[in-house]
Amino acid sequence: MRSPKVQLKRVTKKYANGDGVENINLEIYEGEILTLLGPSGCGKTTLLRILGGFNAIDDGEVLINGNNVVQLAPEKRPTAMVFQSYNLWPHMTVFENLAFGMKLRKMPRTQIKEAIKSMLDLLKMNGTEKKYPNQLSGGQQQRIAIARSLLLKPSVLLLDEPFSALDAKIRMQMREELKKIQAQLNITVMFVTHDQEEAMALSHRIVVMDKGKIAQVGTPTEIYDQPVSKYVASFIGEMNFIKEADGELAVRPENVRICSGNSGNYKGTITSIMILGHFASVHINYEGQDVKAFVARSASFELCETMPVSFELIKYQRYKKGA
Amino acid sequence: MSTDIQKKAIPYLLILPSFALIALFVVYPILNSVIRSFRHPDTGTFTLANYLYFFTDPIQLSNIGYTVFVTVTTVLLTLLFAYPFSIYLRFSNSRLSRWIYGLNLLPRFVPGLVAVYAVMLVINDAGVINRIGRIFGLNIQMGLLHNAKSIIIMNLWFNIPFATLIITAALFGLKASVIESARDIGASKLTIFTKIILPLSYKDALIAVTFVFMSNIGSFTTPYLVGGNAPKMLGIALFDQFNSYMAYERAAALSFIMFLICSISSFIYIYVNLKESKWEQR
Repeated sequence: MRSPKVQLKRVTKKYANGDGVENINLEIYEGEILTLLGPSGCGKTTLLRILGGFNAIDDGEVLINGNNVVQLAPEKRPTAMVFQSYNLWPHMTVFENLAFGMKLRKMPRTQIKEAIKSMLDLLKMNGTEKKYPNQLSGGQQQRIAIARSLLLKPSVLLLDEPFSALDAKIRMQMREELKKIQAQLNITVMFVTHDQEEAMALSHRIVVMDKGKIAQVGTPTEIYDQPVSKYVASFIGEMNFIKEADGELAVRPENVRICSGNSGNYKGTITSIMILGHFASVHINYEGQDVKAFVARSASFELCETMPVSFELIKYQRYKKGA
Repeated sequence: MSTDIQKKAIPYLLILPSFALIALFVVYPILNSVIRSFRHPDTGTFTLANYLYFFTDPIQLSNIGYTVFVTVTTVLLTLLFAYPFSIYLRFSNSRLSRWIYGLNLLPRFVPGLVAVYAVMLVINDAGVINRIGRIFGLNIQMGLLHNAKSIIIMNLWFNIPFATLIITAALFGLKASVIESARDIGASKLTIFTKIILPLSYKDALIAVTFVFMSNIGSFTTPYLVGGNAPKMLGIALFDQFNSYMAYERAAALSFIMFLICSISSFIYIYVNLKESKWEQR
């Protein structure tokens, strides 16, 4: 078993308005990307800032490399944080931004230069040393912000929705790049996002949070295939909920199979068909409930609106009432 | 054709009223007084005597020196108080700081004359401070009134809140994450101030300073009420030339001298505003 790099024990931090986190127990292992996922106000950023030392905690312990860091200020912790907004220092060049932290650590000049050069090579950003942040695009600025943190060789890299201000295409690119760099340097990363797709794409493990508590921890596959609660099920990916007498069935659209003839257990009527590229999304009215099914595009040609169909559920979760 | 002329004429017509106002009430009087300042009061011939008077007469020379001294002292003290004060208001989230921030606006709503009398009432040798002292058997006579000290105290009363307002606005423009990321990287508070906050806000501080400088060079109410008999601030000296001696040529020359002193700081103001730092260029 890998050793835990970070341990959070019974961490509690409550704000006056009732937000915050409560009794969080969590371990982050060396070299993994752990994502905190949840809607705004669920406490994910609070937790990240607790780790970075920007928020004091009411109760609990935070251990990094086995040392309790609760009393330490951000600058004394082996963490480095990348913030949501572009937060390079606008009056410093890229080089000065990158060198600032190393200068404070009294690293020799030649060493600083070398480190910056190899870091910019890694990010394919060489040639930007003399530029100022506002001469860079958003994606480039965020890349430099990540570089600035990485250069200090933190034990844990903390990323607070770093790509949320970027447009969709750049965001995808940045995800891939981050994953590549993370693997190359084998750093431990804690990543906060409200974008479930981003979490799925990027993480080794995901922590789904709900109102200051952990709803589920698991690999993207576990979270997707075996969501422990209706909350997690509805938050990650697309999900149909079919009401039953004593609870609900949760089934992913790709696990609803439309059957030929009357062979399926469930019978309904098609209300709409939408072509979404290589597949089609088919809405079925089943006893007054809307059920979505993904079917291959070729198969969708045999279907039409108002057509009665039967379907079966290949894989589903059952949640009892009130769960 | 006629529409073409109309199109061209409309912008000129639109600026004509304001242009006429400025020409009539700003440009003409200034030109007039500049010309007058070079005229001999009796013969009307060209002369430099009106200027020479202010730069040779020992009383007037000491007035100029006194005015510059009071103004520069006011500027420096204002900055010394307003900058740290603004930093406190920006970075403290306490209820006290929010209260003070609100209070800081208050002097803007107090008429200058009222404020001067109010402060006089407190600091004069038989004023509030003296009376409170008497309760404890002390006869506190600070001798603050009718000299440079009282003018400077009054100036600070007006200008610290004003400068604080401008500098605080600039500091609120700084994103918290810009400072937090510096902390995260290990910068001390002093380093954050000198390397991050100061370079990002000094321009606004300089602009506040030029405003304070200009408004104090020509100030009248405060020195009139709390200043001494000699030396005098230039605003009062100008009043004397114009109203008591009716020496209009000298008054014109003095106005122009005051304008020149002010233009030092307006030059700084324009320079700072026009000079875009490299990092602000696109």
